[in-house]
Amino acid sequence: MYSHDVLVLGAGLAGMRAALEAARSGANVAMLSKVYPVRSHSNAAQGGINAALTDRGDDWHEHAYDTVKGSDFLGDQDAIEVMCREAGQELINLEHMGVIFNRDDEGRLGTRAFGGQRRARTFFVADITGQAILHVMYEQILKYNVRVYDEWYATTLITDHGRCGGVVAMEMRTGEVHAIRAKAVILATGGLGRVFEPSTNALICTGDGMSLAYRAGAPLMDMEMVQYHPTTLKGSGVLLSEGARGEGAYLINSRGERFMERYAPNMMELASRDVVSRAEITEINEGNDIDGCVLLDCRHLGRAKIMERLMYIHEVAMDLVGVDITKDPVPIRPGVHYQMGGIKTDVDGRCWDPSGGWKGVEGLFAAGETACVSVHGGNRLGANSLLDTVIFGRRSAEAAMDYASANNHLEFSEDNWVGGEKATMQALLDNSGGDLVAKVRLDMATAMDEGLGVYRTEEGMQRALDAVRGMKDRFKNVIVQDKGKAFNTNLIFALELGCMLDCAEAIAVGGIDRKESRGAHSRLDYAARDDENWMKHILLYQGPGDQVTKEYVPIVITQWQPEERKY
Amino acid sequence: MQAKVSVRRFNPDEEQPKPYDQQYDIEVEEHFTVLDALIKVREEVDGSLALRCSCRAAICGSCAMRVNGHAVLACKARVSQHLSDDGEVRVEPAGNQPVIKDLVVDLEPFWNKVRAVEPYLQPSLPEPEAEYLAPNEVMLHLVDVMGCIMCGACVSDCTVLEVDPNFLGPAALAKAYRFVADTRDEEDSKRLGLYNGYGGIWDCTRCGECVAACPKGVAPMDRIMALREKAIESGTPPGGYDGAAYGYRHAEAFEEIVSHKGRLEETMLVVKTLGMFNLPKMLGMLPVGLNAMFHRKMPSPFAPTVPGVNQIRRLAARIKMNKDGAAR
Amino acid sequence: MRYAFFPGCVSRGGAPELYQSTIAVAGRIGIELEEIEGWSCTGAGALQESNPLLGDTLNARNFALAQRMGLSIMTICSTCQGVMAQARVRLEDEEYRAQINELLAEEDLEYTGGIQVKHMLWIMVEDIGLDHIKSLAVKSLDGVFLAPFYGCYIVRPSAALEYDAYPQRKIALELVIEALGATAVDNDGKTRCCGFPILTINERNSLAMVAKHTGEAQDLGADAMVTPCPLCHLNLDGFQSKAARQVGRQINVPILHLPQLIGAALGLDGPALGLNRHIVSSFDVALKMGLRV
Repeated sequence: MYSHDVLVLGAGLAGMRAALEAARSGANVAMLSKVYPVRSHSNAAQGGINAALTDRGDDWHEHAYDTVKGSDFLGDQDAIEVMCREAGQELINLEHMGVIFNRDDEGRLGTRAFGGQRRARTFFVADITGQAILHVMYEQILKYNVRVYDEWYATTLITDHGRCGGVVAMEMRTGEVHAIRAKAVILATGGLGRVFEPSTNALICTGDGMSLAYRAGAPLMDMEMVQYHPTTLKGSGVLLSEGARGEGAYLINSRGERFMERYAPNMMELASRDVVSRAEITEINEGNDIDGCVLLDCRHLGRAKIMERLMYIHEVAMDLVGVDITKDPVPIRPGVHYQMGGIKTDVDGRCWDPSGGWKGVEGLFAAGETACVSVHGGNRLGANSLLDTVIFGRRSAEAAMDYASANNHLEFSEDNWVGGEKATMQALLDNSGGDLVAKVRLDMATAMDEGLGVYRTEEGMQRALDAVRGMKDRFKNVIVQDKGKAFNTNLIFALELGCMLDCAEAIAVGGIDRKESRGAHSRLDYAARDDENWMKHILLYQGPGDQVTKEYVPIVITQWQPEERKY
Repeated sequence: MQAKVSVRRFNPDEEQPKPYDQQYDIEVEEHFTVLDALIKVREEVDGSLALRCSCRAAICGSCAMRVNGHAVLACKARVSQHLSDDGEVRVEPAGNQPVIKDLVVDLEPFWNKVRAVEPYLQPSLPEPEAEYLAPNEVMLHLVDVMGCIMCGACVSDCTVLEVDPNFLGPAALAKAYRFVADTRDEEDSKRLGLYNGYGGIWDCTRCGECVAACPKGVAPMDRIMALREKAIESGTPPGGYDGAAYGYRHAEAFEEIVSHKGRLEETMLVVKTLGMFNLPKMLGMLPVGLNAMFHRKMPSPFAPTVPGVNQIRRLAARIKMNKDGAAR
Repeated sequence: MRYAFFPGCVSRGGAPELYQSTIAVAGRIGIELEEIEGWSCTGAGALQESNPLLGDTLNARNFALAQRMGLSIMTICSTCQGVMAQARVRLEDEEYRAQINELLAEEDLEYTGGIQVKHMLWIMVEDIGLDHIKSLAVKSLDGVFLAPFYGCYIVRPSAALEYDAYPQRKIALELVIEALGATAVDNDGKTRCCGFPILTINERNSLAMVAKHTGEAQDLGADAMVTPCPLCHLNLDGFQSKAARQVGRQINVPILHLPQLIGAALGLDGPALGLNRHIVSSFDVALKMGLRV
C-alpha cells in the first residue's frame, strides 16, 4: 500500500506550500491532485497578495484591522492576527523562491492599491500574480522532488472513530482504485464555485475537500458566506481582476455615472467586494444597466499601463467578449467567486479542537479556500486569499508533521475501504433511466444562483434548499454514459456532483439559519447586522440519516470591537 | 449556428484500440469557443468524450489540442473562426505526445523535460534578509516568459520533436531562459553548459511553429535564440556535444563571412562550421559537394566581390566596436 | 511592373538555377527586374542569433538602397522574405530606426521606413494575377501532381508577413499550382521545417526532416515538390538520397523552384530553366510536363 507520513490533497498554492514545508523538513510527504499542480485554480488569482512590510512603514495591525472590518467582524481576530503578522516574512519567502514581482524604482517589491484597505500593500506580478506564484511554487516542488500523485481523484477519507488515516483515490489514467495510508492528511482542495452558475471558478472547483471532510464527520463553518466578485464577465462569469480598480479603473452605469459615489464616497470603487457587488446589483435593479451589466472603464489608464499591469484581463476581455479595454469599457456584473466558509480549523489547520470546544476529525488538517480558519469572516478582502493559502498551508504542514511524529499509522482494512469505494462507483455506472450528470449540476447551480445570490430572502433560500434536496434524490439515479476505466471524466463529474450537492445544502442551511445581514450574506428580510444575536459562527455537521446538525461557536475578538462599517 | 465538430477519438479500453474520427453536429452560439463546443458535446451528447479543461480563461493550460491541424488552447479558439466552408471544425489531441484517451495526452515526457532544465531559482547564498533587489525592467521582461502556462501547445507543433523526442523542446527551454535571464539566479554558466548538450538549444531549427502556437505570447523560439546568444557571449564551452560546437561555429562563421564578404558563401560556411580538418564530417559532405559541382551548382570561389562590400565591412566593424565598447 | 530585385545569396550560390529561371521567366510575365546593386545577405535568421543589430542594419541598408531606386523589393527566397519582413516590422519603431540610420548615415544612406517587400510567389497572386499567368501559359500542366512546400519563413510569424491583410498568402502556392492546371497535393509537411538550418549542427535530425517530407510527398503520389525557398531546395534536393538511406527507404522526388514551374507552363525548356542542375533528377517530371529536356 502507498504510505506517507503526510499526504496533501490538492496541489494549488495551499497544498504545494504545505508539501514544500514538509519536504524541506525531510518528512515523507506526498501530494495528490486531480489535475497537474500548475493547472490548479490558484492560477486565477490575478491582482496580488497582501502583506504589511514594516521596512516600508506599514504595520500589520493596520492590515489586520482592514481585514477584520472587511470580514464584517465575523473573522476570528486571533487567526487574522496570525495571518497578518506572518505575511511579511512569507512574502519575502516567495520572493526568495523566485517569484518575479513588479518592482519599484529602487528594485524593491512594488505595491498597488486594493479594495477595502487604506494603504497600498498588495504585491503583484502584473495581473497574473496567482499564476506566477503557483508556477514558482511548483518549481520548488520539483526541486525537492516531492512525490505527486498527478491526476488522482480522492473519493473518501479513511477514518476510524473520529481519526483520519489516509484516503481512497482513483488513478484517473487507469481507473484503478487504491488506498493511500497517511498519519496526517491535509485537505487543500480549494473552493466550490461550480455549485453556482455562472461563477468565476474553474471547472475543477467542486468543493471535494469540504464534502470529504463533512462526510468524515468534520464540521463546515460559515458556509453561507459566498463572495460575489464585482467584476466578472457576463455569460461565462470569467474574472476581471480587482487590480483594474486598484490601478484606478472606474465603474460606470448606463448613464455614465461613477455610481460608487453614492455607495462608498470615500473608497469609491475600492470599497470591499460585498459593498461594491451590492451597489452594482442595486444599479442594475434600478434600470441603470446595459443588458444586465454595468461597465468597467479602464480607458483613462492608458495603453502602456494596461499592457504592463493588466495584460491578462486585456487578453481575456478580447478573447471572450471581443472588447479592447484600452478602447472601450467592458460590461461586467457580480459573480460567484469565493467561499469564505469551509472546513472549520484552528490556526494550525487542525480539523478538530484538541481542547474539545468542538468536534471534528483527528489527524485531518485543512488549508486554503477549502478551510475556514476563519480569516475572511463574512467577506474576504482582495489579495488576502493568496496570503491565506501560503500562511496556513505552511502552518498546517508544521502541525501535521508534529502530529505524524507523535502518532502511528491508523490500522484499517485496505480491501474493505477500496472495495466499498469501488462498489459506490459501480452503482453509479450501473444506473439507468436517470438524468445526465450535467443536467443535475446545472439545475442545482441555477437554483443556488436564484436562491442565494447577492440579495437573499428566507423564501428564496428555502426554495433553493428544497430544490437541492430534490437533486440529491435525483443524483442517486444519475447516468454515467462512459462505462470505461481509462480517464473516465464522466464518472469523476458524477462523484464531484455528489460533493457539490453536500456543499450546496450546507450553504442554503447556513443562509437560512443566519437571520441577519453580515458581509456577503445580505438578507432583504433581515437587512441589518445583528451583533447581539449573531456574533457567532455556524458549524454544520452531517448528522444521522444525512440530516444537517448545527452548532455555534463564538467569534474570537482580540482587540477590535464591532463597529459600523463604512467605506 | 450549426457546427460539425469532428473529434479524433481513441479509447484504450477497447481490445485493439485505434484512433477514429467522430462527428458531432451541434448548435453553437457566436461567442462559443472550441472548448464550449466540446463541453456541450460532453455534457449533452456524449459523456464518454475525454478531454482536459478547467479554467475556461486561458490561464490553467489544460486544454491545449489541435484545431484544424494546429495547436491552440481550446478555450481561446472561437468556433466561428475555425469553421470550414462546410461548417466543420477538426479537433485532434496535441501532437508529439502519446495519446491516453481521446484528446487527453500523456504529459509525463513533457514534465520530464521541464525537470531536466533544473527549473528552480539557484540564487547566490546567503539569502538577503529582505527581498533581492532587481530592476523592474528585468522583472517585466521575465513576466512575459512567466506568462507560460505550460500548456504544451508549442511542444505539440514543434518540428524537431517530430523527428527527435530527445529534444528538450520549446516549453522547457523557455522555462530555462527564465532563470538565465533572472538576475537573482547565479548559475548561468552551469545552466548554459547544461542546455548546450544534445537535445538542447542548438537543435532548434528556428521554424517558428512554437511562436505561432503559443497562446500566451511567450515566443519560446526567441527565448532559445536568446539562450544561444548568451551562450556565445559568455563563451560557455560547448560541452561534449558536437552539435553545440558546430552551432557556435556556425553562428560565428556566418557573422564572419557576411561581415567580410557581404554575402553568404555556403561552402565557406560548411567548412568553417565543421572545421577544415574535421575529416569524417567533411568526407560525409563530400559526395553532396561533388554532386553539386557536377551539376554546376557549386559557387565559384573566385566570384567577383560584391559591389559595396567595403561599406558592409565598415558597418560591421562599427557595430562590433560599439558592442565591444559597451561590454567594456 | 518594376521591382528592386533581391536575389538572395543562395540563388547566386548553391542554387543558381533559381536565379537563372527567375530571369528567364520574369520578363515574360511582365515583371521588370532591376537588381539592387550592392545588396547584402539578410542574415537568414542565423546572423540574428549572434548579432541582431548587424542583421537589422544590413536589412535597413538593403531597404535604403531599394528606396533610392524608388521601387518595392521582390525576393525569390522564403527565408529572405521572412527575415526582411521581421526586420521591417522592427524598423517601423522610429527610435530604433533612428539608431540604425545613425550608422547608415556615415555611408550616406537612410531608410525612411515603409518599404514593401514581396516574394515572387505573392507577386504572382497579388500583383500579376493568376488569370494573367493562365492566359500566358502555352500548355496546361494537367495531370501533373505537385506537392507545395513553403518554407517556414514565408509562413511564420504570420503577423509580420501580413497574412491578415492578404489571406491568400496562406494558400498562394496551391493557387499558382492549380492555376497552371496541375494538381496540388496537400501534405502535412508543407509548412513545416525542411531541416536546413541544423544541417551542420544535427545532421541526423535535419535528414530525418528531409526524409519525412519528401517521403510523404512521394507516398501521396506527387510527381515533384515545389518550393519558393532555395534553402529548402538545397536540403530537400541535395540531401534527399542521404536522408533516404538514413531511414532505409527509396525516395526519389524532384524539387522544383517556383519560377521553374511557371517557366514550364510558359513553354520554356528544361535547360533554360536549369532543371538539369538538380541533384535529384527532374527528368521524369519534365517529360510529364511536356518539356524539352
